[in-house]
Formats: sequence, C-alpha cells, structure tokens
Amino acid sequence: MLMARPATLQSPVRASRISLSKRTSLLGYALVAPVVICLLILVVYPFIFGVTISFTNREIGTEGQFVGLANFIYLSKVPSFQKAIVNTIVLVGTVQTMKLVFGLGIALLLNQAIRARQFWRGLILLPWAMPAFVAYLTWKLLYLPQGGAFNIIAVGLGFGNIDFLSRELAMPSVILATFWRGFPFWVISFLAALQSVPQEQYEAAAIDGANAWQRFRHITIPGILPVVLVVVLLSTIWTTNSFENVWLITQGGPSDATMTFPVLAYFGLQTLRIGEAAAVSVAMLPVFVMMAFIGVKLLERNQE
Amino acid sequence: MQPYDERQDRDCRRNSITAKRAQWLTLPAALALVVAACATPPAAPAQPQVPAATAPPAAAEATQPPAAPQPSGKFTYWGGLIFSDVANQMLVDKITEWGKARGIEVDVVMINQNETQQKVSAAVEAGTMPDALDMGTGLMQLLAKNGQLEPLDDVFKQIGEAHGGWLESAAKSVDPARYGGSVWGIPFGLSGNLINRRHDLLSAKGFNEAPKTWEELGQMAEAVNDPPKVYGMGFALSNVGDGNLTVTMLQTWGGRIADDQGKNCTIDSPETRTFMEWITGLYKKGLFPPGVTTWDGAGDNQAYQAGQAAFIANPGSVYLNLRDNDPELLAATRFSGLPAGPKLQLQPYGPNVRAIPVTSRYKDLAKDLLMYLADDEFMKEYYANAIYGPVLNSQVDFPVFKASPIHVGLLDVAKNGTPPAFPDVDNPAYAEFNANFLIPKMIQRVVVDNVSIEDAIKETQAACQAIYDKYK
Amino acid sequence: MLHKLSPSQKVLAYACLVLLAILILFPIYYMLTVSLKTNRDIYRVPSLLLPNPTLMNYVELLGRRGFAVNMRNSLIVAGSATVISVFISCLAAYSLVRLRYRGRTWIGRLILFSYLTPASLLFIPLAVIINRLQMGNTLHGLIFTYLTFAAPLSTWLLMGFFRNVPVDLEEQAMVDGATRLQALFRILLPVAAPGLVAVSVFTFTGAWNELLLALIFTTSPEIRTVPVALQYLITGDVFRWGLIMAGAVVAAVPVMTLYYLSQRFVVQGLAAGAVKT
Repeated sequence: MLMARPATLQSPVRASRISLSKRTSLLGYALVAPVVICLLILVVYPFIFGVTISFTNREIGTEGQFVGLANFIYLSKVPSFQKAIVNTIVLVGTVQTMKLVFGLGIALLLNQAIRARQFWRGLILLPWAMPAFVAYLTWKLLYLPQGGAFNIIAVGLGFGNIDFLSRELAMPSVILATFWRGFPFWVISFLAALQSVPQEQYEAAAIDGANAWQRFRHITIPGILPVVLVVVLLSTIWTTNSFENVWLITQGGPSDATMTFPVLAYFGLQTLRIGEAAAVSVAMLPVFVMMAFIGVKLLERNQE
Repeated sequence: MQPYDERQDRDCRRNSITAKRAQWLTLPAALALVVAACATPPAAPAQPQVPAATAPPAAAEATQPPAAPQPSGKFTYWGGLIFSDVANQMLVDKITEWGKARGIEVDVVMINQNETQQKVSAAVEAGTMPDALDMGTGLMQLLAKNGQLEPLDDVFKQIGEAHGGWLESAAKSVDPARYGGSVWGIPFGLSGNLINRRHDLLSAKGFNEAPKTWEELGQMAEAVNDPPKVYGMGFALSNVGDGNLTVTMLQTWGGRIADDQGKNCTIDSPETRTFMEWITGLYKKGLFPPGVTTWDGAGDNQAYQAGQAAFIANPGSVYLNLRDNDPELLAATRFSGLPAGPKLQLQPYGPNVRAIPVTSRYKDLAKDLLMYLADDEFMKEYYANAIYGPVLNSQVDFPVFKASPIHVGLLDVAKNGTPPAFPDVDNPAYAEFNANFLIPKMIQRVVVDNVSIEDAIKETQAACQAIYDKYK
Repeated sequence: MLHKLSPSQKVLAYACLVLLAILILFPIYYMLTVSLKTNRDIYRVPSLLLPNPTLMNYVELLGRRGFAVNMRNSLIVAGSATVISVFISCLAAYSLVRLRYRGRTWIGRLILFSYLTPASLLFIPLAVIINRLQMGNTLHGLIFTYLTFAAPLSTWLLMGFFRNVPVDLEEQAMVDGATRLQALFRILLPVAAPGLVAVSVFTFTGAWNELLLALIFTTSPEIRTVPVALQYLITGDVFRWGLIMAGAVVAAVPVMTLYYLSQRFVVQGLAAGAVKT
C-alpha cells in the first residue's frame, strides 16, 4: 500500500498504466524472490546472528552474555591480531597486483596471432580447475624443506637447502602459491574482454598514426576497464577470505609472519569461544564493506 | 511483535512473498524479523538460537532439552579416525556387532580428529550431536563446563570393577575433583609422545643408551648433526600440537605457565630464561632442521622418515609407518620416554575418552555400549593396531605391551606418566593458552625474529595474562 | 588486436609462453609423480623423476576407499547446485535488470554484499538453520547451503550479462504478444547462452571445490564429497601424500574436462559481457 500511493500520484490519468506498472512490480518481486529468500535464510540471518554474538561472551553450548566491545578490546591486545591486519593487506595487495600485471600481460600475449591458442587457454585454466585445498597441499609439498621439489632443485643447482618458509621467504612463498592458483581467472576474463574491443577502433587509430602504446592507452584500457573492475572486486573477495593458502602452507607462521584474518578466526574456534571467534570475522568486515562500496560506486559510474 | 510472527511464518511456509510484504523487505530490520521467524519453527525447542540479548538465562540450558526430531531411529556414534585403518575398522565392526546384539540400528562414523572441534561446535549449536563419541580430555573439559555432557560416574565405576580397577593415570585424567564434580568421559587409551632416535647414527658416535636428560639429548644431537643430510633436533617449534611439546620441556626446567591456583601467569621467571637460552642456543647451532618453525603435524614424521632427523618426539604414527613401509629404518630406530629436565621429569599422557552428550537420545544404551567396548578380548586386538597405552589393570598384561617397542614405551607412560598440564593446573585458561601456541611462538620470536629472550618472555607473559584474565 | 608479430617479437612471445607453461605445469607434474610413487619412495628417495612408478595409490583410492562414490556425490552436489542456482539467478537477474520497481537497487546491493560475508562467520548459524530445515547430513542440505555463494555470484554475473543484450528484441516479441517470461526464456536466454555456460562453469567449479561447509554439514561416509574425502586422507599427523595426490589428480579430471569442452563458450560468454557488469 505504501507503494501504490506514489504510483497513483505520479500517473493519475490512465488506469491501465497504473495496473501495468503494478503488475511489473509484482512480477519483479516474484522473480527475484527465490534468490532473496535463499539469501535471507542462508546469509542475512546467519550474518546478523554472527554480528550479534561477537558482542557476547558466548561459548559453544551456552547463551553467553552481552559484553559490549570486550572481545574487540581483547583482540586489539593480541599481538597476532595486529600482525594479521598488516599481513592480510600485504598478502592481498601483492597477490592482486601480481595477478593484474601478469594477468594482463599474459592475456595480451595470448591475444596475438600465436599457434595453438586453444591449447594455451586450456593450459592456463589448469590451476583454477583444481580444488584449492589440493592446490595448496601440492605447494606445501613443493616447499618442504625435507625432500620438497624446490629444495631438490636448489641442492642440485648448488644453493644448498633453502628454507622457503623462513621469516623472509614465508610470505613470498604463500604469495606465489596464491598467485598460481588465482591468476587463470584473470587471464581468461581479460582475454575475453580484449576480444570484445572492436577491431575497427584499432584500425582507425592506426590510420591516425597512433603508436602501439597510444593504442593500448586510449583504446585497450578503456575497453577492458569494466571487466578489470569486476575481476578485481571478485578476486579480492576470494583472496581475502582464503584460508587454505596460509593454513596448509605455514599455519600463519613462522612467528606470525603469515598470520591472516581467516587463520586467526580458525584459531579462535579451537577454544569453543564462538563470540570471540565471531569478533575476528566481524573485525574484518569494515574492510569488506569499504571494498564493496568502492567497487559498487566504480561499477555504477561505469554503467552510465 | 507477537501478532506478526504467525503471519510471517505462514508466508515462509508458502515460500512466497507478496509484493506488498516485499516492499519493506528492503528494510534491514524487517529482514532480520522475517528470517528469524522463518528459521524458528512454531514449537521451537529451547535451543540456543535467538540472539543472546533476548535469550532466556543460561540456566534453561542445563535442563533436559526436548527430544530432538528423529529422522531415523539409528544410534549414532562418532569415532575418532586415527592413523591405523585396521583399528578404525575394528571399532566400526565392534559397535555394529553391539547394535545387532541389542537390536538397534547403528550408524558409526569415523570423524577426522583434525576436524572434531569444528564438527562438535556446529553439532552442539544445531542439536545434532551423536548419541556417543570419542574425544580428548581438552574438549571434554570445555563441553562439561558448559553442561553438554552426561555424567558417567556409575559407568566409570562399573567398568573399573569389572577389569581389576583403573590405572591411576586413567583415573586422574577424568578425576571429578579436578574436572567439575563428575566423571565426564570413559578413558579408552592413553597417547603419549616417545622419543624416536636414530640408533645407527648415535651408536656410531658411541651413544648406545637413550638420553636421560634433555641437555644430554642436545649434546647427542650435536654430535650426529650433519646438515643438510641429518639434523639432530627434529622437534616442531611451530603453531601445531607438536609444538606444544616445548611447554613440557619448559616445565621440566622448572618453568610454569601459571600459579598453583591456575589464575595468574608466571611465565616470566628465571627458569623460563634458562630454558629459552638452552633451546634457542641449540637452534642457533643449527641443530634444528630448516622449516621446524612452520612444520605442520606431519613435519617430524616426514623429516624422520626421510632420514633427516636424529631425534623426534612422536605418538607412534612413525613407528606404524616404518613397520609397514620401511623396515630398514625401523631396525635403526630406538624408542624411549621423554628425558628429564634440570628440575623435573615429565611424561604427559594424553587421555582419549568416550563421552555421551546430554542430547543423546539413548543414554542408557550409550552407557551399555561404553561398557561393551571395554571388553578385554576386543581391546587386546584393538591396542595391537591402535597406538595407545592401557587404561585398566586387566589390560596391562596384554601381549602387545611386551611385544612392540612402542607399546612397551606406552605402557611405561601409562604406569609412570604425568597428568596433562602437570605441574600446571589443567583448566580452560590453560587449554586456550595451549591452543594459541604461545610457548612455540615465544621461541619463534627469538629464533625467527631475533627478538631478545627477555623481550620474548615479557611479550608472552602479557599475552598469557590476557588469556587467563578472561577466565577470572 | 590480432596482428602479425615480427620474428624477434615472436621468439620473445614464445619464450614467455614456455616460461608460463613451466610455472603452471611444474606443480602439476610433481603432483602426478608423487601419485605414482610408493610411500617409502616419497620420503626416502626424494626425486623429481619417477624411478619406480606404481599405480598402487590409484588402485587403493578407487578400490578399497571407494573414491567413485565421492566423485558421484560431488557430481550430484555441484551439478544440482549449479542448475538450481543458475535457474533462480536467471529469474532474479532478469527482474533486477529489466523490470522497474521499488527497492531494486537495494536488492541488487544485498546480493553483492551477501557474497562478501566470510564463511567463518556463517558456518555455525548455518548449521543451526540447516538442521531446523531437517537437511542436516544430507546431500540436498549441502546443495542448499552452496546457494550461499552460488546464487549471489550467478545473479551478479548474469545481471551484467543481461544488461549487455539489447532490449529491442524482447520488446519486439512482447509487442507481438509474448509475455515477459516468454521473452526471457525464448528471446533473452538463447542470446545469452554463452554467458549462461560461463556462469554455470564458475558455479560448478566453486561447488566442486568447496571444503569447509561440506566438512561440517555432512557426516556419513557415503555422502562425503571429493574435497572431504581427500581431507580424510590426512589422519592425525600422517599425510598419505601418494593417495592424496592420486585423489587430487582424479578430482581435477572432471573440472578440467568441463573447462576443455566449454572453454570456447566461456571465453565467448565472458567476452559478450558476462563480467562487464
């Protein structure tokens, strides 16, 4: 009924028009309803539940009591928590930059007239086709200081045993593994975007005497920008939430050098203090919300 | 709010939302209402689910929850999946046999122990706990504290009487005086870390006997250290359970996590300093294999099985693996108890228990099952495959405790071992301290980050106190 | 921008590709070799080569451990989750893109935001809900929970895609008497087919690879999915590397096949605008 009023006010002239717009609204709600209902049950409700208990001292099997910000205050004092903030930013920032640069580079390369493009595309997708859990276990096996493949190579080349999971190398090692598993999505998306840039634009630019860089700068980049934005947003969500990459390779060590939010949340669950564990996840929400807002704004601007 | 509930519920059941109603779906508050209404069936049992602010006081929790809906009348049991496939299968077969004898259908599921904590967390909240299950005493203690377990004093007594009494170690691990007034779990096996050592390498340097003290072990490790082929000290210093062996080491130096009341942390002590100097000194001499600060639970197994570690501490999985895959290395291996420190000798046993959740639909049957599983004939076979020390006097003379070197060691642990956490107080704060791996992390701070021992101890003391303060 | 490369550029391009191939294939190659080794060899004879290849791990995996059942479960779960998710997402995306009504923008944002919530925050309340719905420890319960990530992603990608299909065709059909739904199913979806394939492939991959929720919401061995079954090969402190890697190889085959068969559509679909929101 709230709805009907503005509609009536806006078009008081033709009755059929009103009923049409009303019917459209009805259909609109009906069609979107299944997804919305699923999300209300599966995401919104659990989300509200999670945020609520993050302000309680709830443990498994008890109701818990409201404790205000106590969980967050405790967390802010935990050294691992502070490191998790920095590490999560470093990990996600570096991996995403690498994916962007190499993803675009590889896509540009594959967009050239090379032989067996189908083959290369299929090859690129291999890491993404593997369960994350398995992919990271494989990397763990590669990094193993005892008998790991990279150490066999290092010893063979005369570098001796290298600890790929030492303080200096642990983060780069996790970054490389995360990059390996995640970059195919970027390449394939960029490749698709590149192919959707109209060929005529390049030809026209070439006639106008634009060089390769100018063509790239003024035609390619604007042409693929919307895709880049979407891919960055999606992949950043995936990477920030990723748990297996760190857990399986380093458990957040050594000395918290690779401690990230999802791993910290996992540790929190070990003591059945679900209020506190929820607080870890809630603490990273502002970052997500910011990311999402920026993403949405950029995308909406692009649509116009 | 009351009048709305019913209507929303009807809507949900129809699984459709009318346009009118949907308009205000856009309001977040309304979202919460609708979903909360949908997710709560009309006759909601008194289960934790409503956000805590509006929830009834916790006392309601302790009362018997109403019988859960029974999709099937099966009796469910969660066994702990261990590294021996044979032992896993034996447990399944035995419980199935029991079900046949009692005329009830059983569903035995082996749960990966690495996931028990998460599965139990979700199951308690959702009301889907099995009718009985295996767990460690750490989890037992936490669940009992929150009123989630059935007291088993009667079963404990009966089993003890039928089998010549409980070993002192087993009795201590579930002692009502230590753990909240009742027996909450029935022990069925004691795990313990034994030192596995490379006798072939050590005897070549003239060391034929097992090390008596940790310091001696360190000297022996130094003598055979030959990087990158062999490293002396294959002990995890990482954020996994194995890394917490360093807590035991610290305690043998006379260091303590907390005071005798289990209330205040006492890590910052001269004993801790001496211990830290010893262990970080060995690290700096290069006796630890590269990677020990990031090892997962399998790190020591892999280093030893690759022939790259002279000493490791292991609960028996390495023995089983060598027995089945690498007899040569097994022949070169000797097993012994944990050495003594300057102040104490500690050999903590890790009790494994079977427990019955308060939500069990078949409590009497479950108790009957626990007694059935304590059967000597079954346990004789079971111990031969699972790597556990005995818990009952009637089990001590099983042949396997004389035959296999690892079982001989575990029998010794069961007879002469020390209770978990001893000399510290085994309470939830101690459990959380361990779950955060603060002692291995303290060592990491020094050997990885080059922080001074003094600073590392101060930091750890503060982090520890923050945990203990939560339980005051 | 297909154009001819000069010979030196060509050499450079192929050199890059070869490097890339090594980066991609080396871990996969190592995985394969480990899956063909005995337990002892993995530890005692660490090598990049395969001195004594054996199929033992595959035999145990598919024989005694009944990995085929896990594959079947994963196919059922991932397949159903994909079909359901893509279907309801088509309706939702169409509604959000083509119809004008109040709250549309907010619903669109709700869908994007629900994709952001970390699973670690959701799993306990989800367990409660799934049990209330009597779907605990069942495959359909798992299918339903997979909509948490599948539905927002599919809807969101499809919205971008539909937006890029000109509205004229549908309007023309409706002038000729077709209903909105007929316009959706008969006009829009056929045009959007490559995009649908792309979205389906992404959803399927996500569901096929999912571990955390499956680990917690399924208990019985006969309904375990592939990632759970692989996780169960790690018992305590023992990693059965040979078996795990054999499982990984077998598990990757269906998804790789799917990609291979559909890659043309995936690229086409993406190119036509699926990610061009």
